[in-house]
Amino acid sequence: MNKKLHPEIIKHFHSTTFTTPIIGVTGGKGGVGKSTIAVNLAAAFVAQGKKVALIDADVDAPNDSLLLGIPLENPEPVTIMQPVFDPEKCTDCQKCVKACQMNSLFRSQPKTITLLGECNGCEACYLVCPAEAIGRGSHSVGTLYTTKRGNLTLYTGALQPGLAESALLVNAVRKTAFADADLFDIILVDTAPGTHCNVIGALKGADHVLAVTEPTPLGAHDLELILSLLDMFAVQTSVVINRSDLPGQKAKTEKTGRAGSTPVAAEIKQNKDLLAGYLQGRPVVNLFPNSSTAKIFLGLADRLAAAYPDWKKQARQEQL
Amino acid sequence: MKEIVILSGKGGVGKSSLTAALAHLLTEKGTRLTLADTDVDAPNLHIVLGANFDRSRAVAASDKAIIDYEKCSRCMRCVDACAFSSIIGENEPIIISYSCEGCGVCALVCPEEAVSIHPVENGKINFVTSGAVRVVAGELGIGESSSGRLVDIVKREARQEASLNGSDLLLTDGPPGIGCPVIAALKGADYAILVSEPTPSALSDLQRIAEVVRGFGIPAGAVLNRSDMDPKSAGITQDWLVQNNIPLLGKIPYDPRLPQALARGALAVNMYPDAPSSLAIKELHKAVEGLLE
Ligand code: SF4
Ligand code: SF4
Ligand code: SF4
Ligand code: SF4
Repeated sequence: MNKKLHPEIIKHFHSTTFTTPIIGVTGGKGGVGKSTIAVNLAAAFVAQGKKVALIDADVDAPNDSLLLGIPLENPEPVTIMQPVFDPEKCTDCQKCVKACQMNSLFRSQPKTITLLGECNGCEACYLVCPAEAIGRGSHSVGTLYTTKRGNLTLYTGALQPGLAESALLVNAVRKTAFADADLFDIILVDTAPGTHCNVIGALKGADHVLAVTEPTPLGAHDLELILSLLDMFAVQTSVVINRSDLPGQKAKTEKTGRAGSTPVAAEIKQNKDLLAGYLQGRPVVNLFPNSSTAKIFLGLADRLAAAYPDWKKQARQEQL
Repeated sequence: MKEIVILSGKGGVGKSSLTAALAHLLTEKGTRLTLADTDVDAPNLHIVLGANFDRSRAVAASDKAIIDYEKCSRCMRCVDACAFSSIIGENEPIIISYSCEGCGVCALVCPEEAVSIHPVENGKINFVTSGAVRVVAGELGIGESSSGRLVDIVKREARQEASLNGSDLLLTDGPPGIGCPVIAALKGADYAILVSEPTPSALSDLQRIAEVVRGFGIPAGAVLNRSDMDPKSAGITQDWLVQNNIPLLGKIPYDPRLPQALARGALAVNMYPDAPSSLAIKELHKAVEGLLE
């Protein structure tokens, strides 16, 4: 199933309209500490005087604001097209019902086309209607938030519970943040867990991706999957091992498969400081700036900052 | 047969480990059950159970657009028409299959009838046996979309499997989040067990998932995992549960033996039956047995 992608698709994935570096933070599955790492890395860049955009692209469960302790501000609805039917104009041809691949349109009686199921706003019904009986209404699928705190700006989207349109919301959040790209020194993207299309959508344009894992059999399994995905899109990747002192399988995580050939950017041990930061909703980098954990994040931020010029050079060479 | 779904609003609170432990205890005590792993983006119940796949079958869980380049005149109308930006290209249209929703708009606007919509194989159904526990697990292909439809297929297969082997219970390990795959996992359930842990993030996830479950009118109870991690947060979560009439089915203390057992591909309830977490899961097992009556 791991098919080769068309080179144009890979090129499209890497294209951006600005030069601000983008770092993705992802992981095969939830709970490995992806958001903790993203938030602390953001805090570390800010501590070094950088202007940072943090995009929380886990629109099903956006938690970065809680981990940063900043309440969300500036809500804006994200809407998609939703058909509105005019029974006066409708000729009852039912072309719209046939065109809807989501099978969301029903006609109980003549000229009573109603939207009952889910609608993704594709406009197929609108396009096929010969009588101009369909208008373009709009429907909210979620909310976008832009929250500023000093040198950090958090961009988050929250999906309306029960809807399938997370991809649209991820794109809306990215678009808003990318429109401001020139205001920042660095853009961080915290993705949803998993290896589905949404994760790719969130990481579009990333210059470097940190794949967060932990040294357990589950961690190793999920890491292998996410590294395969990143490899398909030719993304530069390194691994962050969280809870690296968990009993068992660190050596295995480091040695097997793709994980064996991917550099390790940082290792973080289980510790009380991190847990305290998590519970209090403050990054460790701010709460205990002199702790060994804070130093790991500051060091990681330094190394990433030192690497950006190379990424850009490499990207340029690849485009030539 | 009863259907119970285990959910958490987000991954990482120990949902799969809990599901596996619970399944083992229930089977040991004579409940016949089938497990469905609907976390199709990262199915790993089989790893927690220390089991291997018996057999797999490829499934087509979504429709995608395909261009016949012999017919295509490179007019690029389809590129503009796609509401999901899933067609790119400068000289000829290229479909980004992973984000294509199969809506068919490109086919509608194409003057050459060069586009058609086809089901594509983008996932698998895996059948796993671990002792007396049978698992039906969905696995979405890497980088694919449409997990909701794959979850539908998994549930259908799992129900079939459950009725074939005369199960009393279909226990579903739900996907993370609150979106379409979660809804698909919930459909037809008699009860939802919401797993949380005492942190502000996990409470926020719990609140979102509880809202979804309530919307479907499915009764629910909660389990607090790693319950001794933070007494203050645990108190806040328990208060919230009381205010919202969600019974607390069990509290499981943090136990370092859990990851230790997991690292060996074993279940802590088997390896360390007297550990505090194992005892707590046994209590929870009784509560779940009560739900089956
Ligand atoms: S396509 Fe237009 S005219 Fe035909 S049934 Fe639908 S709304 Fe009515
Ligand atoms: S916009 Fe698309 S999904 Fe929505 S009703 Fe029309 S055809 Fe169906
Ligand atoms: S089927 Fe719909 S989503 Fe897919 S490429 Fe065509 S217009 Fe875009
Ligand atoms: S609309 Fe049809 S003919 Fe035009 S570029 Fe697309 S596939 Fe080719």
